[in-house]
Amino acid sequence: MDRELILDVRGVSYRYPGARTEALHDVALALGAGDFHAVLGPNGSGKTTLVRVALGVLAPHQGAARLLGRPAAGWSRRELARIAAVVPQREENLFPQRVRDTVLLGRYPHLSLWGAERPADHAAVARALEGCDVAHLADRWIWTLSGGEYQRVRLARALAQEPRLLVLDEPTSSLDVRHEMELFELARRLADESRLAVLLITHHLNLAARFADRVLLLSEGGVVAHGPPGDVLTREAVERVFGWPVAIERFQDRPQMIPLRSRKDGA
Amino acid sequence: MALAHRARRRLPISAPTGVGFFAMRRSAHRTHLAGLLALLAACGGGERGATTRAPLPPARRIVSLSPAVTELLYALGAGDRVVGRTTWCDYPPAVRAVPSVGDGLSPNLEAIVARRPDLVVLYRSALNETAAQRLRALGLATAVLPQDRLEDLAAAARVLGRLTGRSAAGDSIAQSLAALVAAPAPDLGVRLAFIVWDNPPMVIGGASYLDQLATLAGARNVFHDLGTSSAVVSIETIAARDPDVLVTLVDSGAPRLPAFAARREWQALRAVRERRLVMLTGSLFGRPSPRAAAAVAELRRQLEGGEGATR
Amino acid sequence: MRWLGLGLAAVLALGLALVLGPTPVPWAALGSSDIVRELRLPRALLAFLVGGGLGLAGAALQALVRNPLADPFLLGLSGGAGLGAVLAIATHLSGPWTLPLAAFAGALAAMALVYRLGLAGGAELDPRALILGGVAVGAFAGAVTTAIVSLASAVELRNALLWLWGGFSGSSWDGVLVVCLYFPVPLVVLLAAARPLDLLALGEEPARYLGADVARVRRRVYVAASLLTAAAVAVSGVIGFVGLIVPHAMRALWGHQHRVLLPAAFLGGGILLTLADTVARVVVAPRELPVGIVTALVGVPVFALLMRRWTAS
Repeated sequence: MDRELILDVRGVSYRYPGARTEALHDVALALGAGDFHAVLGPNGSGKTTLVRVALGVLAPHQGAARLLGRPAAGWSRRELARIAAVVPQREENLFPQRVRDTVLLGRYPHLSLWGAERPADHAAVARALEGCDVAHLADRWIWTLSGGEYQRVRLARALAQEPRLLVLDEPTSSLDVRHEMELFELARRLADESRLAVLLITHHLNLAARFADRVLLLSEGGVVAHGPPGDVLTREAVERVFGWPVAIERFQDRPQMIPLRSRKDGA
Repeated sequence: MALAHRARRRLPISAPTGVGFFAMRRSAHRTHLAGLLALLAACGGGERGATTRAPLPPARRIVSLSPAVTELLYALGAGDRVVGRTTWCDYPPAVRAVPSVGDGLSPNLEAIVARRPDLVVLYRSALNETAAQRLRALGLATAVLPQDRLEDLAAAARVLGRLTGRSAAGDSIAQSLAALVAAPAPDLGVRLAFIVWDNPPMVIGGASYLDQLATLAGARNVFHDLGTSSAVVSIETIAARDPDVLVTLVDSGAPRLPAFAARREWQALRAVRERRLVMLTGSLFGRPSPRAAAAVAELRRQLEGGEGATR
Repeated sequence: MRWLGLGLAAVLALGLALVLGPTPVPWAALGSSDIVRELRLPRALLAFLVGGGLGLAGAALQALVRNPLADPFLLGLSGGAGLGAVLAIATHLSGPWTLPLAAFAGALAAMALVYRLGLAGGAELDPRALILGGVAVGAFAGAVTTAIVSLASAVELRNALLWLWGGFSGSSWDGVLVVCLYFPVPLVVLLAAARPLDLLALGEEPARYLGADVARVRRRVYVAASLLTAAAVAVSGVIGFVGLIVPHAMRALWGHQHRVLLPAAFLGGGILLTLADTVARVVVAPRELPVGIVTALVGVPVFALLMRRWTAS
């Protein structure tokens, strides 16, 4: 397909200073508008490092990441924030804020140095709040929100950047099933309706398998498999990467992993 | 009382002089000096009328931890007995040959003991009281004498006279100082302020020696009402009191215009604008000394000079 | 509305500083009085500017090190300034501007040293390393200063320390001019960093992904805030608590958005220090208290209150 690639990562390798092994080895990834890719792998397999390299925060010593055709290193952080939004794993907000104000922070890449917020900025914030279904919480203080609500607010902040690429780093790690599903549904809708490129890092193999177009399975910094979920999430691959016996079932034409118990479980 | 503890140990006591302390008479078999000091203490230290006793062995090796005391000792003719001095002791010039035992502010006990004195004389301050106690604990006779004003110096002259066996000289010095204090010079009609530091501005108040010199020279310190010896004030406060003359102390050497006189904000003072600035040099003015009469005369001369010492 | 209140408070503070003093000046002669023009006015202006600089630097530094209990003097600048001043006196350098320049140079040296320590082996400033480095440098400088003072025999050293405790007695129009020439650049740099500081409050990584050049912001804020503080020390010694309390007070009124907080901190700091200087001049007249004592007497109870609220939340 000859679409414009929003994110194009080719053969990147990266080693953290002072580390003995590479955190990433020869990893490639490509997303265009409307693509929903998931990155899976055990702890320490390099998922978050991949995001940092893809967005130019870390410079790979091999290979390159390009966004909209330009090398990641060639973007200033501000310019880059206009096209790519990341919701990182952790955030420690020092200040008490209202939801509206924290989402407004997402407009930073679009604001001039001294200028005040314009109506277009407030409109973008309103759209983002609507899109994440948190508009009714706009005037609440963020410390009063539940985990799921706060996560959606962070997502709204990312959407307020009006990006073309949305990266979510383990967005559901502390959410219950309903909020998890809501978030995945929302991400899928953003890919389908708003034509965002969505890159989602998660531990949740089963949801990734059901929602993602393509899955990248990492292990110890290297690519194990990359492709549609059905091709990647085989029993052999999952067992080898995660080191636990599993059974693969199909649900709505997508593979679903069921971890087996340590004694024989019965087929 | 703290002395009660030492009662158990057989140490010579020497009581600090000064109002309020009473010696505990004990077996003062160690040093007769200690007994003499105790007697003087019981009579209230710096008061006039301390009775003399039969002649006692005079001190032979004296460590002086105060420039004023050093000067007094030389003035008494006992200069050859000074075996230790502070770095500040610079008069008379002969004293420079005597080894220094430090700056005297926090006395160096080892250096003092190394001089093997039989008498150590200190300036009275809270810090020195502690040092004196420690010296006594080491078996040295010590005398702690107030030396803030000329009256104190007169009393000190008497005490030192007795301790060195030169009572006549001591009394004579005391009398001349007393006479000086009793007869200030006629009023010059000059109002002055002593400036000892410029940022923040520090002036000399009523409790200090310089203030006394001013009075004796026939001038008036505009900050005489301040009860302390020095105080931080603002330029505006000085301007409000409008002294005719500003007096500063400088190190020996050619006196220049004091640095602050050139600064813009100090021009608010009439004395600065009119350049009526007096600079007093040398150690003559920094502390009470037996040469006080010369100091008073010099100050009066400079004040009468009118235009000050600017060059 | 609150801005109006702040403006009025500023006018009131400056007015009091001009009107109160040991010399009685009739109202009518206020404009033409030499005392007011040459002594009180530069002093009031200088106190306002220095207080504003400290308040602004404090607010920015609290955001930079992500610690609401940070004070501009946390980063070793006061120690450096003291050491510079004491060295100048101990080596008998003379001249009307010697003391301020030496203190300024000492503060800059401390700033550079703490910067190196704050890099902590990497290429970017680490806020925690900054704090630790600042405390270490301050303690070291203080120790060396004490050693020099105890070894040297100059009586002037004691008086130099008096100066270091803070005061505006030496205020002149020259000082006001120097500050007015020197302040604008660091001031503008800090005000321009307002939005990135908001982002930094989320954490380093979220701020970066939102478009902030974190390393550059940290460098600039650190250097600009340190320059303001160094100038404040050079002009008027070490005056604590202004940079600590004023940002908190302004946050209570204006919230955390730095676009509003930073200017408010400047004004608030100016008001506080001008009032404190007036109190220092008036309360034990004819003598003067070091202004740092007044700010401490006000600051410590306020600080205790803040700590209670902070630990309770």
